[in-house]
Amino acid sequence: MITNRGLKDRLIEWFDVRTRHRAVRHVLLDEEIPAGTGWMFTLGSTLLALIGVQLLTGAFLTLYYAPTPDHAYESVRYISSTTAGRMVRGIHHFGASFLVVFLVLHLLRVVIFGSYKPPRELTWLSGLALLGLVLGFALTGYLLPWDQRAYWATVVTINIARLEPIAGEAIAAIMQGGSTIGALTLTRWYSAHVIFLPTLLVLLVVAHVVLMRLQGSSGPVRQKPGKPVAFYPYQAFRDTVVVTVVLLGVVALAWRGMPPLEGPADPTDAGYIPRPEWYFLGLFELLKYFPGKWEVVGAIVIPGLVAAFLALLPWIDRGPERDPRRRPLIMIAVMAGVLAVTVLTTLGWRDRPRPVDPNRWSMREIGGRAIAGYSGCTKCHSETGVADPLETTAFTRGAEWVEGHATDPEMIAPGLREPPAARSEREVAAIVAYVRRITRQPYPGYPKEIETAATVWARYCVGCHVIDGDGGDDGPNLSDAGTKHSLAELKEWIVDPEAVNPNADMPAFGDRLSPEQLDAIATYLVSRK
Amino acid sequence: MPPTETSPPQPGRRRALAVIVNSTVAVIGGALSTLLGVFAVRPARGAVRGRWVRAGTIGDLTKNVPVARVLAVPREDGWFRARSRETVFLVWDGARDVKVFSATCTHLGCQVLWDAKTKHFKCPCHGGVYAADGKVLDGPPPRPLEIVEAKIEDADDSILVRV
Repeated sequence: MITNRGLKDRLIEWFDVRTRHRAVRHVLLDEEIPAGTGWMFTLGSTLLALIGVQLLTGAFLTLYYAPTPDHAYESVRYISSTTAGRMVRGIHHFGASFLVVFLVLHLLRVVIFGSYKPPRELTWLSGLALLGLVLGFALTGYLLPWDQRAYWATVVTINIARLEPIAGEAIAAIMQGGSTIGALTLTRWYSAHVIFLPTLLVLLVVAHVVLMRLQGSSGPVRQKPGKPVAFYPYQAFRDTVVVTVVLLGVVALAWRGMPPLEGPADPTDAGYIPRPEWYFLGLFELLKYFPGKWEVVGAIVIPGLVAAFLALLPWIDRGPERDPRRRPLIMIAVMAGVLAVTVLTTLGWRDRPRPVDPNRWSMREIGGRAIAGYSGCTKCHSETGVADPLETTAFTRGAEWVEGHATDPEMIAPGLREPPAARSEREVAAIVAYVRRITRQPYPGYPKEIETAATVWARYCVGCHVIDGDGGDDGPNLSDAGTKHSLAELKEWIVDPEAVNPNADMPAFGDRLSPEQLDAIATYLVSRK
Repeated sequence: MPPTETSPPQPGRRRALAVIVNSTVAVIGGALSTLLGVFAVRPARGAVRGRWVRAGTIGDLTKNVPVARVLAVPREDGWFRARSRETVFLVWDGARDVKVFSATCTHLGCQVLWDAKTKHFKCPCHGGVYAADGKVLDGPPPRPLEIVEAKIEDADDSILVRV
């Protein structure tokens, strides 16, 4: 034992001569913290820990992620297919939300405690820059899964950038990369997210912490009696408690809920209503109050003024007084700001689009399944065919690709495929809707009558009628057809509209539908109330 | 609880706090490293399932004459799905049995050809020769041609090959 101990000491000594680790340790841990510094001063360390977790999980996610429109979605799905992958992605996803929350809390703590006052102006400014940087991370990271939400949120972001006066178009062009939002956009947002922003982040964090250490912790608003104590282990203990609780929160969220992944990005889907991540909801709501040419006020001017106010705060609030009770104007301004953001975010949150059950299939999707069945898709897409059965295939390409694939036998594997049966535009649209749905969710199973009605609906009705927001608008909306018509009326009308109303525009379907099909579609429509 | 500054730090409390801080940091670091390690070294295995692929019908074959067929074999590589083409020889016994050989030479992986004159499979690369039943007759191949599982569907006489 004695020799072991001697060896250990000698080793430590050997390293200390070469690395000065004792001195480094002293600098890192023995910083003197003013008496009375308490739990409110744990937010910075919490942010440091969260940033560390984001950097680590992000670095590991790149092991599997592929930044191309063809494969991004598929690779994210692949990451989510194991428990470890789900956790890593979940921690990265929810960690980002926690990061934003704690940044804002940290900022409020600094404002309320007047910690930005001289000589800490540069620490304050570097902190604001970090806030901007983290929002940049949130924005660029959002696009990467290349799902519907990602794609459409990016469309909106780039269009907002376009609103900027003078340089707007140029900035939008730089963000977009190519002529459309696509491969070039994805790779440049990816490089920003994993190379450029992290480099800046690390540099700024180092600068922020060094500045903080140079000036020392600002400590409580009023000096408290007592001697300063060492950071380690006294303040470190508080930091550790808060960090542990916060990280457990992130892990719990990651464990409970898979980060959302919607259907693959589809630039042709005009019906999709994009919604930003929650921390941008306030801005999203703000935009609604400035329609038309005033949009630039909500998108650029107001956020710009807020940023300018924050940046100039140390020069606006110049007196040496740090006590919030003696700085009423600043406190009122800041609380008004917090209130405005909270109200806007809440309004944005509540203003959700129609609460459609995301697990319920639309009639077009249900119909598409039957149409794919009778159209020859399953000749190849079967257990014994050359392609995966439709149920196990992930369709990550756009609607156009699937459309082409369903109508043009030469488009994929020329010579290998038999020509598909001729199909109407509406039937192809139904197949596309079906395969995009099956990629996200296995077929839940619907009664035979609903399937029959859905096939009829997807083949004929959907061209002119709408149900639940899906369909054409030449004819009346049939979402609540059951409140207006009886079964007999509906049947009569479908068989021969002109017999009911000589001026009817709708074609007669009496000779195109079998009795079962007529029964099924009329019964279904009557059930819509 | 950490000491308030009115009570001067005591060495015992200091040690206890240090132990709590160090062990918590170690636990968090260990848990995170384990998770990331598992994530890094164990990628998801795609469900590599055998699949029966249609490779023609008995009507296309002549008794005991090997016929080459190119099959598109789906390959899963993580999230990447590709199709590789694989050549097989179908040999029908004239009744309800069909033997299927992989056309890949067991020596270095060239594609063998059927020589109808000598009734041998011949490898163009290094002169490997196989008999009609796949056994090695001459040259460097170390093993007979690989046999691929196959069956004849009773319903429509089509030949299914497992890939």
